[in-house]
Amino acid sequence: MQSQSPYALEIRNLRTVFPGPAGPLPIVDDVSLAVRPGEMLAVVGESGSGKSMTFMSALGLIAAPGRVESGTVRVGGVDLVGLAPEALRACRGSMISMIFQDPLSGLNPVFTVGDQIVEVLRAHRRISRRQAREKAVELLERVQIPDPRRRLDDYPHQFSGGMRQRVLTAMAIAHEPQVLIADEPTTALDVTVQAQVLDLIDTLRRETGMAVVLITHDLGIVARHADSMTVMYAGRVVEQGSVARVFADPRHPYTRSLLRGIPRIDSPVEGDLMSIRGQPPLPGSVRHGCAFEGRCYLGRGRVDCLRNRPELNIIGDPEHLSACHYAESLHDEEMPA
Amino acid sequence: MARYLVRSLVQLLLTVAGVMTVTFFLMRAIPGDPALYMLGDYATTDAVASLRAKLGLDRPLLSQYAVFVRQTVSGDLGNSVVTGQPAMTEVASSLPWSAALTLSGMFIAIVIGVPLGIVSASRQGTWLDRTVMVSALLGISFPVFWFGLVAILVLSHWAGLFPTLGAGGGTGLWDDIHHLILPAVVLGVSVAAYIARLTRSAMLEVLGQDYIRVARAMGVSESRILYRLALRNALVPILAVIGVTFAWSLGNAILIEVVFSRPGLGTTIMKAVLSRDYQLVQAGLLVLATAVVLVNTLFNVLYGIIDPRLRTR
Amino acid sequence: MTTLMTSSTTKVDPDAAMPATGRFAPMLAHPGLMAGAGILIILVLVAVFAPWLAPHSPTKTDLMATLAPPSLTFPLGTDQFGRDVLSRLIWGARVSLQVALAVVVLSLSIGSLLGALAGYAGGWIERIITIVNDVLLAFPGFLLALAIVAARGSSLQSIVLAVSIAYVPRVAVVMRAVVLTIKPKPFIEASHAIGVSNFRILVKHIIPNATPPVIVVATVSAATAILAEAGLSFLGLGVQPPTPTWGNIISDGQTSIVEHPLISISAGLCIAATVIALNLMGDGLRDTLDPQMRRQTGLKAL
Repeated sequence: MQSQSPYALEIRNLRTVFPGPAGPLPIVDDVSLAVRPGEMLAVVGESGSGKSMTFMSALGLIAAPGRVESGTVRVGGVDLVGLAPEALRACRGSMISMIFQDPLSGLNPVFTVGDQIVEVLRAHRRISRRQAREKAVELLERVQIPDPRRRLDDYPHQFSGGMRQRVLTAMAIAHEPQVLIADEPTTALDVTVQAQVLDLIDTLRRETGMAVVLITHDLGIVARHADSMTVMYAGRVVEQGSVARVFADPRHPYTRSLLRGIPRIDSPVEGDLMSIRGQPPLPGSVRHGCAFEGRCYLGRGRVDCLRNRPELNIIGDPEHLSACHYAESLHDEEMPA
Repeated sequence: MARYLVRSLVQLLLTVAGVMTVTFFLMRAIPGDPALYMLGDYATTDAVASLRAKLGLDRPLLSQYAVFVRQTVSGDLGNSVVTGQPAMTEVASSLPWSAALTLSGMFIAIVIGVPLGIVSASRQGTWLDRTVMVSALLGISFPVFWFGLVAILVLSHWAGLFPTLGAGGGTGLWDDIHHLILPAVVLGVSVAAYIARLTRSAMLEVLGQDYIRVARAMGVSESRILYRLALRNALVPILAVIGVTFAWSLGNAILIEVVFSRPGLGTTIMKAVLSRDYQLVQAGLLVLATAVVLVNTLFNVLYGIIDPRLRTR
Repeated sequence: MTTLMTSSTTKVDPDAAMPATGRFAPMLAHPGLMAGAGILIILVLVAVFAPWLAPHSPTKTDLMATLAPPSLTFPLGTDQFGRDVLSRLIWGARVSLQVALAVVVLSLSIGSLLGALAGYAGGWIERIITIVNDVLLAFPGFLLALAIVAARGSSLQSIVLAVSIAYVPRVAVVMRAVVLTIKPKPFIEASHAIGVSNFRILVKHIIPNATPPVIVVATVSAATAILAEAGLSFLGLGVQPPTPTWGNIISDGQTSIVEHPLISISAGLCIAATVIALNLMGDGLRDTLDPQMRRQTGLKAL
């Protein structure tokens, strides 16, 4: 089916709930976002903001008692939500792939790397083992693993962390997916290796036109690699837009606080680094009003902030959205020094 | 791989040496005079003195130990105090009966326990899982000899399906097997309960690992994940379970043999204990413990074959 | 916290999880644990108040009323010596629970100490303890206990000693494994760095962290001790008649199994009830205290 949408991945109003003592708790609370082919969307937020859960939900990887309650997830013209488990499985790894944070534990220790790549290849295509092995060598070459033919028969523990992440990336792109979700792929790696892995992802993106979602909490990486960004807080989207615009003109107090916290070459030497006081709320615990209200520098106790959940509204540029009652009027001077 | 085998072998020899030493000192841990203890009511000073001399108990402990080691290594486990026959022959003749019981019992236990454990883990939380686990809990909570008695009551006395006592012996292979079925099933079902519980744990642990999550995210089918990717990882812990329960059931074979009045190493040791034949007790204990060590070593080698990480350390 | 933990496919950040409403709350909500604890409490009460609960003397024989069927005076009937089965079972609870308690206390204290020492001190202390442990572990527990009882003669102390010695190595192994996971933790290193003495570290940091798995092992040890004592008594090597223990009641009932099966059956049920209770508690504690413990404590107690 020919996809009419300009987006490779389009998530609309996704809601995932877990049962709680006082009713179902939304872990992913009405999340909408989209990525175009060939672009990289960075999804930013603190731990517990729901960034990983959103995409786990999209791929149908939420296990009972959690479940996706409503919303749509469109990839290649197909809505993944509500798809039968077998059909969903067929999409995973072929149309849309995900790589995770910890490469050390992501590879099965008792199978060779070659076996594992072959496993993924044969999960979606009827090819012989020999053909699959050949393809596996190609894939390892593509992710720049030296001496790939020999390394096929090595076990994961014989690879370094960075190389393991490459192997996982090879598995993820084996079927040339339209979308690749990278969930903090570099957090467990050191800085030089981080750059290599991200460059690899960029290269693949350019070569295949694959859309990439990069989940991260590192704003430096966002600035360097991403085209657009979505900021999440407490399971909700609070701001969205192109990286250039959001960095230049953040329109949500949370985003402003995050960006303000980055030390700059021209910041005053004295004074503390800005940080946001308090802790993010427990998932689903904010039932009314804005989730950020308790930590917002705009002033606590504003009635509309307490009572009404702010909707995502366009701010100027049609692609720049913010969920704050006071988005229009946010200025620098209002932030505490 | 070869290095791993050599290491296992060395460990085997060291453990057997340790087993021998412990057995030796255990038998001499009898407070008071062993000869006095053995002669019991028939102890006169002369009898005690001559028995002591005969058993070499009047020599210093270390030289006794040296003699013991030398003799054991050459296959001489002393003579039974009661019959005067070499302890080795008595032990050796009872070994096949225990082996038959333990092996057939373990076979039944594995065939029942492992699949139940795997299925339980893959259907965690369902009624199937709960039923299996409740049954397994009951299985490990009743003493195995109680199961034996109930089985004898129901299947032998009331239903008349199986012979109540003994091992047959003498009337042909089929009769032997007929006598073996009930004890083997009792042992098997009892051990299956342990195996099912521990297999389920091992599988759940593996199913919770990141690489399983990754496989799912890559679109690998659930059945392949369970029976290939997860199982291979659970194989070492499952084998460990089997190894441990094997050793455990060898130790508990005594109870089954007594309940069913079967010949075997357990019964031999029991009779020796009751008749204070400490040479025979020592011999039986030594052979039984060594058998356990051999089985454990075999399993260790197996782990090395299966898990590549164990080899390259 | 555990309500949000699902299988491998979802990882909820523990910081963002449900607030803990007190450390004991998850335990009180765990049905298995509560059921097990409840049964155990009842059994302990029965054992403690045996002299008042038992309708008759457990050792008084009446050769005119042997193998009587259940009746109002003798709810479970009498055995081949005319003794009331129910009273014997009630008094039998005393012995079984005494043995279990003594074994747990002994094997846990000695085993934990040795295991912690081995894990913490390392070096040749660890090697010696490990070698001795491995050799003792080569013997199946029941067999070792049997050998010790055989050597020392049958008595309550003998059984307690024998079963304890057989199970000390198993506890030590678990304890050592636990200590080895705690020792490399940064806060231990930090304590060393600021000059805290080894003893203080052991007492203030290592032992409290190692306590949860040890508690789980305690319940399993108790269960195994009860089964071991039953087995030894059944073989005639345990507590000697006429003192009733569930094990020797089963043994007594063996000869009259056809005419009066209830004797052996009811004694077996008593043992099972106790062991089930202990296992439920062990499983429940494992579930509520720390998922990682499953690996450490699961296999070792056999």
